[in-house]
Amino acid sequence: MSSRSGRPQPGWVNPPGHYLKRDEMYSLVGLVEYPPRAKYLFSAGQAQSRFLMGLKEGKILGTRCPRCGRVYVPPRMYCEYCHTHTLEWVELPGTGVIHTAVISYIGTFRERRKEPVIVGVIQLDAPGYTPGGYEFAGLFHRLCGVTPEDVMSGRAIGMRVKPRWRPPEERRGDINDIECFEPIEG
Amino acid sequence: MVWKAWRIGDVIHYPGSEEVEKYVYTPGIHGIEFAKALKEGRILGMKCPGGVHVPPKTYCPDGSPGELVEVKGPWRIATFTVVYEDIYGNPLPEPQVLALIRPDDARRGGLIHIVKADPDAVYIGMEVKPHWRPPEQRTGHITDIEYFEPA
Amino acid sequence: MRTNIFVKDRVAVVGAGLTLFRRRLQETPRELAWEAAKQALESAGLTFDDIDCIVTGTAPDAFDGLHFNGEYIADAGGFGKPTVRVYVGGGTGVFVPVAAWWHAASGLCDTVLAVAEEKMSPAHPHPQGVFAYIWDPILERPLGPNLIWIFAMEMRRYMYKCGATKETIAKVSVKNKRNALDHPAAQAAANITVEDVLNSELLVWPVNRLDISPVSDGAAAVILARENEARRITDSPVWVEGIGFTLDNTHWYNRELAFPRYVNYAARMAYKMAGIERPWKEIDVAEPYDPFDYKELHHIEGLMLARPCEAPKLLEEGWFDRSGELPTSPSGGLLGVGNPIAAAGLMKVAEIFWQLRYEAGPRQVKKPVHYGVAQAWGDLMQAGTVIVLGN
Repeated sequence: MSSRSGRPQPGWVNPPGHYLKRDEMYSLVGLVEYPPRAKYLFSAGQAQSRFLMGLKEGKILGTRCPRCGRVYVPPRMYCEYCHTHTLEWVELPGTGVIHTAVISYIGTFRERRKEPVIVGVIQLDAPGYTPGGYEFAGLFHRLCGVTPEDVMSGRAIGMRVKPRWRPPEERRGDINDIECFEPIEG
Repeated sequence: MVWKAWRIGDVIHYPGSEEVEKYVYTPGIHGIEFAKALKEGRILGMKCPGGVHVPPKTYCPDGSPGELVEVKGPWRIATFTVVYEDIYGNPLPEPQVLALIRPDDARRGGLIHIVKADPDAVYIGMEVKPHWRPPEQRTGHITDIEYFEPA
Repeated sequence: MRTNIFVKDRVAVVGAGLTLFRRRLQETPRELAWEAAKQALESAGLTFDDIDCIVTGTAPDAFDGLHFNGEYIADAGGFGKPTVRVYVGGGTGVFVPVAAWWHAASGLCDTVLAVAEEKMSPAHPHPQGVFAYIWDPILERPLGPNLIWIFAMEMRRYMYKCGATKETIAKVSVKNKRNALDHPAAQAAANITVEDVLNSELLVWPVNRLDISPVSDGAAAVILARENEARRITDSPVWVEGIGFTLDNTHWYNRELAFPRYVNYAARMAYKMAGIERPWKEIDVAEPYDPFDYKELHHIEGLMLARPCEAPKLLEEGWFDRSGELPTSPSGGLLGVGNPIAAAGLMKVAEIFWQLRYEAGPRQVKKPVHYGVAQAWGDLMQAGTVIVLGN
């Protein structure tokens, strides 16, 4: 064992750095404030564009890997595991079970929301996966008809759900064409 | 359906923007001294082994602590360019000379600034001097020097 | 996974340094990096001239508000030297010494300075806005997500699968914030109770304010050296016994969230290289990545320091306390010391270094230590980075 046993490192016992309170920072001479003005245009790409067009028609589409048989939702142009082109499109029923669900009281900038929103991961019914396996086809979306009590007690997890579509005239080829996923009655 | 049927025209695009309203940059330990000196109409540099750095660094390239010194010039154009458009590509009312300006007494580093001069008359090695804003308008930023002008 | 574990040269960590971790620091990013590097060099009795190569790490440029931020901070010693920046999101902090290791182990450089810096405070109104950029712009961002959602979802799944309660998970936060009371750089050290965590502001159920690490500025640095050089520099080098890093896909919602496969693969790679077959017995001290309290338990299981779903039970038994069987986050972790993303991961490596040299002072764990592991995770539940050190 080291001969320096128990002796703290010289120097770092007083780590350097000058902390500023919020007002102190704003009163610094030479402080620079700059608003970025970058605007982006994101391409949805080959596979996701087709998926979004499907949403507009009220369909959930996936792609199937010809080698391993996994059906991908959201669809990819290639299989991540086999590195092959996924050539075949498959329409899924859209039903599935809730994998996890949470209740959010805040928005993107950490601002408090007026009404909490319940969001979660939906494990969709899709061929090509081992039941109870590590991978599955699924989406991240809002959940409705699920109460905070369902989330907290764990009842929500495993609940069977289906998409609630917006009326066709309101659909724009957007993930929000699905209003939310809601429990299947009965 | 095979992928070949998909063309660029079918690809959906989504707009987005930077989700940050603004950045606030602190000037740093020696940056503050530099900023305060600008308000007083002085330009500071850091004396290190090997020469004086402008603007001052907190550390010298060899890791030794430096010493703050006032840089007096004379300032000379080390290189320059003539700018015809702003950053969005709109034409400027008149061409502007943007130069790297080095003081004779601080050969390490230099300042990037506007030179108010006829673009055709500017040359490398030309002597220039800072044109300061009036003291009451100075804020401790590099723009406290409104521009450099031929000496 | 097939990696060559027969590496040419042994490499040791010979020095480490840190700055304060705080919400707003006056120093610019490169000044912070320089301060940390200077501390590390002084602790090893070296100067900048003794360093052959530099590896820098910083998470998204959008926090500091500077593009090429890695290159900016390389300025703090990278002058005229081979320099590289590595980036795997939150995993960067541990990836920096991993990259430094291969620079030295390959024989390319005798001494490598590994420095990581993060300044999250420049982004306004809140750095959370920057996190909006980690979500997929097409399928996720239109839902108006907050970064905390993804953690809350993983935590909820973990609680469901493992039967862990919020009370148990809160004990990680209590432990780490208490451990941090002994850390001189700590930002969020506190003596709190489980009730304090449960009663703190509810953000996204099951996540409360005190379940999360704070927003921080700070920097950390370590020095790595090849065997011959390391023995010249110090009589107590801490050897890099194993390294591991893997990446999973970005489709986090197409995977089981209760077990971190991305960490497990990296851990297996590192243990194999280190010749460790039973990590739960052979590792003496661990610094699992803890940006959220459940994440520490989750990562303990990924690191195979406990069986899946066993960590909450062991936590209740005090297994992970400083005086316990397998102390975790003796530094105070991200929850206690603070979370300047890349610097926080490297702070964990520095802590294992100090623990294995018995130099951690009041933070020194009770049991004798031979092997320690530090781990970080990054991106969309994707990147796992692991380093195993031994004395």
